[in-house]
This record gives sequence, structure tokens and C-alpha cells, in this order.
Amino acid sequence: MFEIWSKDLTKIYEKGERAFEAVSKINLCVEPGIHGFLGPNGAGKTTVINMLVGALSITYGEAEIREKKAGSVTARKLIGFLPQDPVLYKNMSGEKYLIYMGRLGGLKRKEAKRKAQELLQDFDLLGDRNKKLRKYSGGMRQKIALAGALIHDPEILILDEPTTNLDAVGRAVFIEKIKDLGKKKSIFVSSHVLSEIEQMCEDITIISMGKIILTDSIKNLKKKFLENVFILDTNMNEKLLEQIKQEEFVSNTWIDDRDGKIRIIPKDPVKLRETMSKIIFENKAELYRFDQIELSLQNIFLKFV
Amino acid sequence: MDWMNNFKIKMKGIKTRLKKANIPKSPPMLTIIEKTFFDLIKPIKFAVSLLIMLIQPLILILSPLMIGFGSITTINVDFDSISVEHAASIITIVLAYPLFSWTFGIVFTSILGIFGAPLVAEEVDSGTILILVSKPINRYKIFLAKYIALFLYGILLSFSIIFLVGWIAVIRYSGNVSHFIGILPFLYSLFLYAILLTLIFTSITLAFSSIFKKSRNAALAVILIVVLSFLGFPYIKALLQVNYERFQIYHFDIGYHLGNVFVLFIEIFDAIPPTAAWQIYFAQNFGVFKYVAYVDPDQNINLGGLEKTNYYLPVISLLIWIIIALLLLFYGFISIKKREIYG
Repeated sequence: MFEIWSKDLTKIYEKGERAFEAVSKINLCVEPGIHGFLGPNGAGKTTVINMLVGALSITYGEAEIREKKAGSVTARKLIGFLPQDPVLYKNMSGEKYLIYMGRLGGLKRKEAKRKAQELLQDFDLLGDRNKKLRKYSGGMRQKIALAGALIHDPEILILDEPTTNLDAVGRAVFIEKIKDLGKKKSIFVSSHVLSEIEQMCEDITIISMGKIILTDSIKNLKKKFLENVFILDTNMNEKLLEQIKQEEFVSNTWIDDRDGKIRIIPKDPVKLRETMSKIIFENKAELYRFDQIELSLQNIFLKFV
Repeated sequence: MDWMNNFKIKMKGIKTRLKKANIPKSPPMLTIIEKTFFDLIKPIKFAVSLLIMLIQPLILILSPLMIGFGSITTINVDFDSISVEHAASIITIVLAYPLFSWTFGIVFTSILGIFGAPLVAEEVDSGTILILVSKPINRYKIFLAKYIALFLYGILLSFSIIFLVGWIAVIRYSGNVSHFIGILPFLYSLFLYAILLTLIFTSITLAFSSIFKKSRNAALAVILIVVLSFLGFPYIKALLQVNYERFQIYHFDIGYHLGNVFVLFIEIFDAIPPTAAWQIYFAQNFGVFKYVAYVDPDQNINLGGLEKTNYYLPVISLLIWIIIALLLLFYGFISIKKREIYG
């Protein structure tokens, strides 16, 4: 059983005669643990998350939270949701907010009060519990919102860009908190900051322009890409690029803007090595460099999105 | 003792079944009702609402002038020397029109509109709705919870004002408790009318709150309806005169329908004697009564008088408004159910 599963999840916005496909055929298979959902701004992360929690309707496809239809009341019982830049009830105190969230999650008043006290202590907000939320700083608001998502002890946390609006220290603290929570709960966390995802997550899904680019564990990704990128530099890189693109054993190839050299990710590194000399000879190119390089996760991300 | 044991066993069985049914220990809907209701009845807000509702009736009660009986006259009534029924009828005649047109007309409905408009619109506009819809509660229950909270607020407000006005009037005129008991039928009819009004205007307000993105616009829409009902149509009626009936404006005259229902409740409880003293205002402004020139055929004397127009049977007016309220409530449900909540 997957924690979060979706098949061909699609969201289309229609306005009059125009239609805009925000996300298309999203297939997710999220296992227990901390799963990162990575993509640049506007990629569709929030759209996908909002469909999973029931805030947006699903145009096509299906999604489930532990085999319960996403958006249904039974599915929402399982999740704790932290939206991007959460808006809170300004005139409520921190403690009252948590009690309200707890009771909305189904807790009795006494239980909600007790858990609110525990969470306020845990998040170092006990001294500010009677302060109105409008007086909370950005970091405090983020903490109280996360506490609000946790109070009814959900089994799965869905966090949409949880470190937005936090300073460097706040981010570090938050990431540690999430990693700590990840030992007891499954977490699906979205971000556009690769380094944070790398710190928190075991598996990631990358989304760009409304489509899933890839899904894999970070370990596998590094292994796959770090061993499998070649650099080629000649006196006719643009011409050779066009030819290399046509080769069926090449997965992806591009000219890096920083140094003007060709990068090649082959499907078959052996075939690439065999064929490269032939390509260079046929085109009478001058070869300056051809070898394998290490590619960082950042580079992988940038090239795919 | 056998029955006690049996009872205990039965209760245990019920508890086990309830536990298995996995009913939430603290229903989220109740939580939203509680929060919304207590947000509405903040003491200063409540006090100010009561004060504004009381203004016109208070001016009339405390003033030595009494507008009634077709002319302005001074009250020279010795309440100690007249019967309870007579005293009650004087008091209710003074109160009937200002309570209908000002207290429960313009002010009460506007208060429901102003305080009710943010209940959905504000949550959507501010973004707090996003967290709310992610909780394990159906959207229509969120809407229903806010409806119930606003409805309870309206009932509390109207009960408070009816109680206050009744006592202020009795204390002002006679100080006799039996006169308060005498006006109870009027207060009952008023309370029944207030329940209906609360039902209708809570539905209207929450429907608008679900439609409009800004609570200000929802409130303005409700106030527009109120102004139209209690000021606009009476003005149109005064302008059109006989053409009001000829062009059948009464079909659309909200004030007429509400007045029709108000008079129905008065008649059900036999709360006020049928005299021109109060009927005249419902004739001039809301078309519930009209002047009829009765001529005694034997003596050829014009007896004058007012009779009900009955453009609509009062029960039909009541039904129309209940159906409108239910349709609006249904619309509100659908609106919030289908609403896309963006992060």
C-alpha cells in the first residue's frame, strides 16, 4: 500500500473558451518515509498537493491516500496539511488556534488542550501561547501552522514549501524538525530548494511545467547521473551537437552555457565511446576534450527543468 | 435491580456500537458552530447592535408624543385605571410599526448581513479556508455550521430585543407586570416573525457570502435588499399610488410579503386589536391593507375603514419566503462544495 498514489492526475482550468492544463498525467507512488516533491516555481507542485488534500477538484485521473480516495473525509482524517505561506486566524491566540485545529481533527476539548500544551512546548512557543497570531513572526507562524497540522496525530504529513519565509536559522531548525518527524510519520514535502530536499528526503519526484520528469531515490539518482555524464569539446561543438542528438544511444545532450562544451548523458556509455571517435573523424573536427565528469544533483535538476 | 442491570448492559452495548461506528469524539461541525457563534456575540458588538435596534422604539416610548390613532396626540392615559387588555393594546399599537420597519426591518436584517457576510467570504479571501477544507469535515457541513451559528446569533439578538422593548415599554407607561403579560401574545408573534426573518436573511447572507469574493460586497448586496424592501418599495408605492396595484408591483415587493407575514402572526396570536391606528402604516407603506369605502346601504353613510389587500394569502407569502430561504441555502451548499480553493 502506498502512502500517496495517483494515476494520470490532471488539472485543467477552463475560463470561457480557453483551457489551461496546470498539471498533466501525474503518477505518484509514495512509499513510507520522507518523499520530496521538487520543482521550480510554477511547476504545479501546489496544484498537485491541493488536489491531494481536497482543496481542488481533480479534472482527470485518480489519487489515493492509503487507498482512500484523495479529498474524501476518510482520506483527510489521515493527513496533516501545512499549506504554502499558511494564513492563520489573526485574532486567535496560539493556544486557541491549536485547540481549534485539534477539535476540527476530531479531538475532545480536554485532549486538544493537552496536546496543544505539548506541541507549544515542543515548538518552543509556550511563552507566546496567549499572544494573538497576528503578532507572531514569520517563523513562529510557520511553527504554529505545523503544530496545527500535527495536533490530531495524523499518519501522513503533507507540507507545501514549509521553509518559505524563514531565515537561514529558521530553515535549519525546521528541516531538523521535519527529519525528526519523519522517523514516526510519512512526509510528503514540496520545495523548489534542492539542498533542503537533499537534506530531508530519501526519495524525490521532480516536476516541471506540470509534468513529472523523474521519480527515484536520491541515492540512485546520484549513482545514475554521476557516473554517466560525458564532456566533449571540439572546434565545432554546435555542428556535432545536432548529430549526437540523433544517435539512439544518447539520452540527453546539450551545450553548457558556462563553458560552451557539450554534455552528453548516454543510454549506452560503451556505444558512445565507440562511436565518438567516428563522429569526430567524419566531421574532421579538432578534439580538445572527451571524458566522463561528475554531475551534481543541482545540475541534474537544472537540466531537467 | 434486574431492570438496572439490563439498562447498564444496554448502555454498554450502545457505547460499543458507537465506538465501532468511529464517530468523531468532538464533531468538527460543532466546533465551527461554537467558534463562529462566540466570534459573533462579542459583548461590544452585541451591545451596539441592541442599541441601534432600540433607537426608534425607544424614541417613541420615551417621547410624550404618540403617533397613532390617525393623528398626533399626547398620551393622557391613566394605565392604572384601564383594563390589562386595553393597556396591552395601547402599548402594542405604539410598538408594532417601529419594530417591524426599523428594529426588525432595516436594522436587524442589516446586522445579519454585515456580521454574516464575512463568515464564508472572509475565510475564502484571507485563505484560512484552505486549512479548513483539509480537515476531516464535509464542505457542506462547514457551510451549515456557519449558518447555524448565524441563525442562533439572530435568535439571541431578537429574543433580547423583544424582551428589552417589552419591559421598557411596560415600565415607561405603567410599571405594571400584568401589562407585560398582557403584551405577551404580541411578543410571541414578534418572536415567531423574527425566527422567520432570521431564517430568510441568514440564507440570503450566507448565499451571498459564498458567491462574492469580498465580504464587503456580500454585505452591500444584503443591505441593498433591505433598503429596497423597507425604503425602496414603500417609496415606489407612494409614487405609483393606484398604479401599484394596476402594475401588480406587489409580486416583487419584498416589504409587502414580509408585512403580510407579520400581520399573519399578529392575527394568529390575536396580538393587537384590528384598528386603523397601526394598520394604516402597513397600508400606506407596504400595501398589506387598503382603504375601502364601505357605504351603509340603508343610511348611505360612508363607514370608511381598512381591509386586507390579500394580493397574496399570508400563508402563501410565508411559503414563498421559506422556499426562497431553502433554495438560497441549497445554492450556498452547492457553491461552497464546488468552489476551488487555491493555495
